[in-house]
Amino acid sequence: MKLTKIMKGVLAAASIAVVGSFAQAQQAGGSLVFLVQPEPPTMAGYVSTSGPIGLLGPKIYDGLVDYDNDGKMVPMLAESVDVSPDGKTITFNLRKGVTWHDGEAFTSEDVQFTIMDVLKKVHPRGPNSFKEVSSIDTPDAHTAVFNLDNPAPYMLRALSSYESPMVPKHHLEGQDVKTAKLANNPIGTGPFKFVEWKKGQYMRLDKNENYWREGRPYLDRIVGRFVPDASTRAAAMEKGEVLYAAYNAVSNVEAVRLNKEKDNIGLTTDGYSMINPMALLEFNTKEGPFTDAAVRRAISTAIDRQYMIDTIFFGYGKPATSALSSNFSATGLHAKMPNYPANGDVAAANKILDDAGYARDGNGVRMKGMFDLIPYGEDWKRGGQYIQQVLGEIGIQVELRYEDVPTWLKRVYHNYDFEMNLNYFYQLSDPVLGVHRHYGTNMIRKGTHFVNSSRYSNPELDALLSAGMTTPDATKRAGIYLDIQKILANDMPVVNLFELEFLVVYNTKLKGAYGSAMGAYASFGDAYLD
Amino acid sequence: MNRSSKIIRYVSRRLIQGIPIILAIVVLNFFLLNLAEGDAVDVLAGEAGSATPEYMEEMRKKFGLDKPLPVQLAVYLKNVIQLDLGYSFRHDMQVTELIIDRFWPTLILMVSTILLAVGFGVLLGLFAAINLNTWKDSMVSVFALITYATPLFWVGLMMIILFSIKNDWFPTSGMENSAMFYEGFERVKDIAHHLVLPTITLSLFYLALYTRMMRASMLEQYGQDYVITARAKGVSERRITFVHVLRNALLPVVTMAGVQVGALIGGSVIVESVFAWPGLGMLAFESLFARDLNLLLGIFLLSSALVVAVNLVVDVIYCFLDPRIEVN
Repeated sequence: MKLTKIMKGVLAAASIAVVGSFAQAQQAGGSLVFLVQPEPPTMAGYVSTSGPIGLLGPKIYDGLVDYDNDGKMVPMLAESVDVSPDGKTITFNLRKGVTWHDGEAFTSEDVQFTIMDVLKKVHPRGPNSFKEVSSIDTPDAHTAVFNLDNPAPYMLRALSSYESPMVPKHHLEGQDVKTAKLANNPIGTGPFKFVEWKKGQYMRLDKNENYWREGRPYLDRIVGRFVPDASTRAAAMEKGEVLYAAYNAVSNVEAVRLNKEKDNIGLTTDGYSMINPMALLEFNTKEGPFTDAAVRRAISTAIDRQYMIDTIFFGYGKPATSALSSNFSATGLHAKMPNYPANGDVAAANKILDDAGYARDGNGVRMKGMFDLIPYGEDWKRGGQYIQQVLGEIGIQVELRYEDVPTWLKRVYHNYDFEMNLNYFYQLSDPVLGVHRHYGTNMIRKGTHFVNSSRYSNPELDALLSAGMTTPDATKRAGIYLDIQKILANDMPVVNLFELEFLVVYNTKLKGAYGSAMGAYASFGDAYLD
Repeated sequence: MNRSSKIIRYVSRRLIQGIPIILAIVVLNFFLLNLAEGDAVDVLAGEAGSATPEYMEEMRKKFGLDKPLPVQLAVYLKNVIQLDLGYSFRHDMQVTELIIDRFWPTLILMVSTILLAVGFGVLLGLFAAINLNTWKDSMVSVFALITYATPLFWVGLMMIILFSIKNDWFPTSGMENSAMFYEGFERVKDIAHHLVLPTITLSLFYLALYTRMMRASMLEQYGQDYVITARAKGVSERRITFVHVLRNALLPVVTMAGVQVGALIGGSVIVESVFAWPGLGMLAFESLFARDLNLLLGIFLLSSALVVAVNLVVDVIYCFLDPRIEVN
């Protein structure tokens, strides 16, 4: 398979786009102040995938490639990519004349070091994404050859600046990568240079005058502001003090109001397709009341997903129809499954429980359980209350529990001291990256967060998951994932609820910062103020 | 022995007494904080998505969280005695550096709030006491009651809506304009501009307290024998109020102000949050949820030291307000 041609096509398209955009005469200059919520712990995007790091990191660091809205690769630090016919050798031809913000040249050694010594070792998802990469050769300064043990088609979807930022070898080599000073003084090749971080206030990035893209970035400065209170964030947006907010920095209720009341405030749900957030219920399949798959199927059948989306999330979301997000339809992997009625079917759910022999007692209760809620705010509390009510209708009485983040993480992922848990997962750009971790037997890892906390283990599924990882052929792969979805729709260790649609709220003065696949996690090199 | 050398001896003795108090507070806080479930590694790993157990174990080792609690405490105390507050693993920075960075905004907000609250509180209380049982007195009482009873976050949000969105007089939040980055005197003006709304919001609550206290205290002093004596001597009412009664009435207010300096550090979390003011309260709040115990202990240490110091200052102020009070 030769991807070079595809990339060249994209390149040509990109250059046409560049010509076209110059015709519109973008204005250079100005400061973009936007909301970053919450304040990131550090700026080490190569160690942590913490959301707020993603909002600022990709402005400073570049990836090898970027992705357009169809999920196709767009050249960044790599001008083209060649994949060998057996899928085991991938050659990245790197851009020439790129320098780090400190003036040093960017070379293939940086790529080798970033993948082998940083991402593969300390990145939370890197060991998975680059699992098959056994070594990287650097025949010259602008060529990096990845040698793979097995084909890994998903790897090519994990190369964005958010997922796999390229970091400077000369600032990390010979040090403990996790404690290196680079974490608080990021130096990348991206369109903006790190200037200062005032804890509790803002992070300031100034234009990189030596950026490799001619004429970019347009903006002189990007400032990420940290405002802890949700109402104040909305007020700052309303007043125009900040021009952009993503990932619920401005809540849906305020976003919809601002959009209605103010002419200069726009909304979009674009920019989250590579992230693919999915709201879901995790079940303890080893102990407690939900060890029987029939009960879990009944719960999935009873919940009115569309109602949850409409009343709690202001209509932003899509009912889940299988273990995979419908965004995977683009790669042919998603298929609609039974036991996922969009509007809920309480009668059918009751029938499942009756058939399984769960009788109601004098109060109409079949079973009791504890229901933990993800401690990420009011929307999730309300979601929990709705589910509690629906489960009451099918004779499952649950008590809600809402704790703080560390306590909740410890309970679910260390102690397995839970029965049912409301949560959301990023399914990311490929099931291997975002979905496998929820179901594989090898992903039952005590103490690791956001993996298989249900402790569901099915050898048949495990075999399919491994096949899904190493099968490059698209049709064969679709067949494998069809089987995977069938098994999961029956066993339901996890019940997917709905695909979250986060909003981006923006001031119309800001252009060119939305509409890309990476959304808020993009570089903003094309953003400008009107 | 003359008065000033007495005061110096008194102050140094009190300072030495303060050290075991502060250490006791540190030890108590240490164990209290460790009662909370989960640690900094859990939070960091949780935010990062998936992390391997080996990775988390390694981090715990690095942070010293794998050692038994008494050992952790001994290490911490040893460092504190050497004035080293340790390292915040979450922020990858020295705790001292972090705290000093956030101490100035807190200090600015605290000082301006206390000045405004005590100043206006004393004036209003005085005004109410002089005009006892008239409509003026009632107005002051009603005002104090309303400001005291209104939740701070609501007042803050209403301030933003009224004076920032409806009328474009003040910025909604933050400490300085992050699009412009002024320097020099322009920056001072910019910070003062950002300071107005949070200061007014935070002082309204305390203002009510001081007003009511001042009024009660004035009335109490008016009933004292020395006031009758002064009147009998033919001292003017004006002089009685401002020279005799006012000075005595200020004592409890000053005591209260001293106690509240400590509370203001923590109590301003709401105002800091609403106005995105980068103070210590917010830092403490966030570090609790991040289980960043080193940082939290550092903040507690600073605030306990501050309370000890301010109480000492208050005691010294007593001597000047009321010459009958002596230090020994």
